[in-house]
Amino acid sequence: MKHNLTTAEKIHGSIGISAPAIAVVIALGISGLLDPYLAYVASLWVIYGLLGMSLDLVWGRGGVLSLGQTAFYGLGGYFGSVVAINFSDLTGNSLIWALPTGAVCGALSAAVIGYLIFYARTGPLQTTILTYTFTILLWTLSQSFKITIGEAKIGGDNGMANIPGMILAFGKDAAALEPNAMFATVVVISAVIYFAVRMLMSGPFGRVIDCIRIDGEKTELLGYDIRKYQLQNFMIAGAIAGIAGALFAAWSNYLNPSIFSVQEALMVPIYVLVGGAGTLSGAFIGSVLIGGLSFWLGGGAISGQTTLILGLVLIVLVVFLKNGILGALNSLWLRFLPDRNRAVNSIKPVTIDASVVENILADAEIAAGPPKSLETKNATKAFGGVIPVNNVSLKFEPGLPHSVIGPNGAGKSSFLKVCVGMYPPDSGDVLLGGENVSHSPIFQCVAKGLGVKNQKPQVFGELSIFENLWTAAFSMTRDKNKANQIANQILTMLGMHEQGNVEASALSHGQQQWLDIGMVLCLTPRTILFDEPAAGMTNEETRELSHLVRILAKKTTVLVVEHDMEFVRTLEGMVTVLHQGAFFAKGDIVKLRADDRVLDIYLGRRAHVQSI
Amino acid sequence: MDYFATVLISSLSSASILLIATLGLAVVFGLMGVINLAHGEFIMMGAYSALTATQLGIPFILAIPVAVLVTMIFGALVEIIIIRRLYGRLFDTMLATWGLSLALYQGAVLIFGSVSPGIGMPQINFNVGDYTLAAYPIFMILVAVVMLAGIYVLLTRTVYGMKARAAIQVPDMARAIGIDSARTNTLTFAIGCGLAGFAGAILLPIVPATPSMGFAFVIKAFLTVVIAGPVTLAGSALAAIGVGTGASIVASFMTSVAGDLFFFILTVVLLRLYPLGVSAKWRMKL
Repeated sequence: MKHNLTTAEKIHGSIGISAPAIAVVIALGISGLLDPYLAYVASLWVIYGLLGMSLDLVWGRGGVLSLGQTAFYGLGGYFGSVVAINFSDLTGNSLIWALPTGAVCGALSAAVIGYLIFYARTGPLQTTILTYTFTILLWTLSQSFKITIGEAKIGGDNGMANIPGMILAFGKDAAALEPNAMFATVVVISAVIYFAVRMLMSGPFGRVIDCIRIDGEKTELLGYDIRKYQLQNFMIAGAIAGIAGALFAAWSNYLNPSIFSVQEALMVPIYVLVGGAGTLSGAFIGSVLIGGLSFWLGGGAISGQTTLILGLVLIVLVVFLKNGILGALNSLWLRFLPDRNRAVNSIKPVTIDASVVENILADAEIAAGPPKSLETKNATKAFGGVIPVNNVSLKFEPGLPHSVIGPNGAGKSSFLKVCVGMYPPDSGDVLLGGENVSHSPIFQCVAKGLGVKNQKPQVFGELSIFENLWTAAFSMTRDKNKANQIANQILTMLGMHEQGNVEASALSHGQQQWLDIGMVLCLTPRTILFDEPAAGMTNEETRELSHLVRILAKKTTVLVVEHDMEFVRTLEGMVTVLHQGAFFAKGDIVKLRADDRVLDIYLGRRAHVQSI
Repeated sequence: MDYFATVLISSLSSASILLIATLGLAVVFGLMGVINLAHGEFIMMGAYSALTATQLGIPFILAIPVAVLVTMIFGALVEIIIIRRLYGRLFDTMLATWGLSLALYQGAVLIFGSVSPGIGMPQINFNVGDYTLAAYPIFMILVAVVMLAGIYVLLTRTVYGMKARAAIQVPDMARAIGIDSARTNTLTFAIGCGLAGFAGAILLPIVPATPSMGFAFVIKAFLTVVIAGPVTLAGSALAAIGVGTGASIVASFMTSVAGDLFFFILTVVLLRLYPLGVSAKWRMKL
């Protein structure tokens, strides 16, 4: 769907491609005219920009601060050079040896570290510290590490010399590039990598990475294997850092352990922060700016105070400059564009049209198969002495909506979390459509047809309404066009088809609830779990929600945990009462309302409570 | 047998040294949820303060409180000027303290040069069988125990300790009952830095003051806190003694780099088993 963008908005949207493209053309245009020494130094700035971009990928986009990018950079440099020293005589060209080796090496070392970080589910602090200590460990290790591999001699503190320069030509007589040609080569290589990364990050992969940064739990509830995505992103960044390292080695013809030093590592976040985190191109702006500035001030030489100044610069950047140069320019530019969220005020209240929902459900059934029942068998979950889910055996089937009620602390939400896989049961089983999913990770449960909406609306605030829905739809279809189609259907059902381009964060609480429900429907779930969906909704919205749930229940299994008894009554379905973690009673709401024991636990009357 | 006893005792003393160097970091992490990447440089600052004080003629035993005071004041300033602006921004806090770490390192190079004299301490030795051990490193075991006990008392028996623990556990409630959490945090950070300064000073006879000494502590001290997890005090003690002793046994048979490598790999293995630290499921709070 086209969201009627103005020309100015289109230019703004494509600036990430057009501006770098212009910069590349200019850089190549002047590459022959530059003073050779300046061209030589400027090559390094571009290499640093590439290194900075690898951090931006992990941190600005992925939301994980890695202080280990120079570790991958250094490893890529060392290994790439070892291979280049040994094999470049065969071909003449040195880069075809150094760059792929550097990339593979960077990616593999990032895979090892990333696997630990993401699959052990360590916290953000642990992640940063592990990457930092990894870098320092390599720094100390490399100082005493001596080995000779073929022609290449790694000499600990003495470093590794005789690294072939950048040789592009093939054959025996091929010579290393002159500084001006080297600058052009580095620019071309970096441009190719930048545009490839940019393409990847503006596609589905980048969208999922953004979602993980904003709300990892919700992304997993949409059925994405977030650890796999995080690891892949980390490996791509590692590969880029490795390539940058190999380029650096060819640039300097020499490597020593200082490549792993903290001073070297310090530069990387500075480049990203100066340019603007999350922009990918910002790192290049940061590195060229800082490189250019120190070149202009002091010939680019590392003087005694550099580390002191840069350390203080980092503090100032972190405290005062939040979005970097590109971020600041962007907010300035946005002031001159029409407000992206201008359409938000014209969103009409949701009215559920039964025929529309039934069409969507019919399509979903074709795509995802028949509805699945949800069953627990003796499911038990305990936390220390508290047993919020105690030996619960229940079965929910399509046809009528199911509600789970119970007083506070009855274990309703915990029961739901056991069903979803957020709390794996200590004993007993959870069956989805007859298949045991007790210990399946959340994303697999979702892939098998479970749709979950938590009590708090979980939407990706920085993404547009349409992008929110699309991300959910893409998870199941893995097909851009089908995802477009499904997302548009749901968008129209929510009455937001004019507002697809509005940021989700601009929506009111109730509208976010509806968007979240819409995302769950985009998953074409075969079993739907709603945790207090009516919380925070107006009476009209609650009525429409009740209508929607009743239609959904005809074609899928729907389970609602709810406090609002009036809402539960309007669902006209089966009601299960939980009490102190265990099954208590079951029936329709009229029968339960007349049941003395249910009234007792809700009202806290003593006799029956004690006898349970 | 004597050799084994010697290795064990000196490894235990290395682990104690590690614990001494880590406690300040652990306190700040435990009570503020902040990792101070400049922690190593605060140790360095403590060492140089004590060194300068002794050079001015102050006896070593009195130079230690001087070092603590200097680092505490500097720590309080850092908290007020930098850390306070970054509450709730975990990565930014780490980056800012990292910048501070390198600025302090380079500042020390500029002021003190990259080598510096040790301090003259009477060497007291004693014998285990055929082997001779220096007494001062062994004395560190006692220092570590006293430090641990002192911090425990500070956090459980003093008004400040109660406030600091309340402020980290339920910050809103703490504010609601009138605890000035900003002031408590400044004090906490200053105490953490003071502990680092104490470590730098008390270890001065063993670890000479150099601008880069902070980086030498970085790997083990930070990994100790990571292994420890949320129950910082008891967790750090366990991690430092458990992993630290192992690492220094490895280091004494091989090289110190091998010890660091062992420490890192063991951390990796432990994190695989306990992603949020060994103490993640403990009931105790300190």
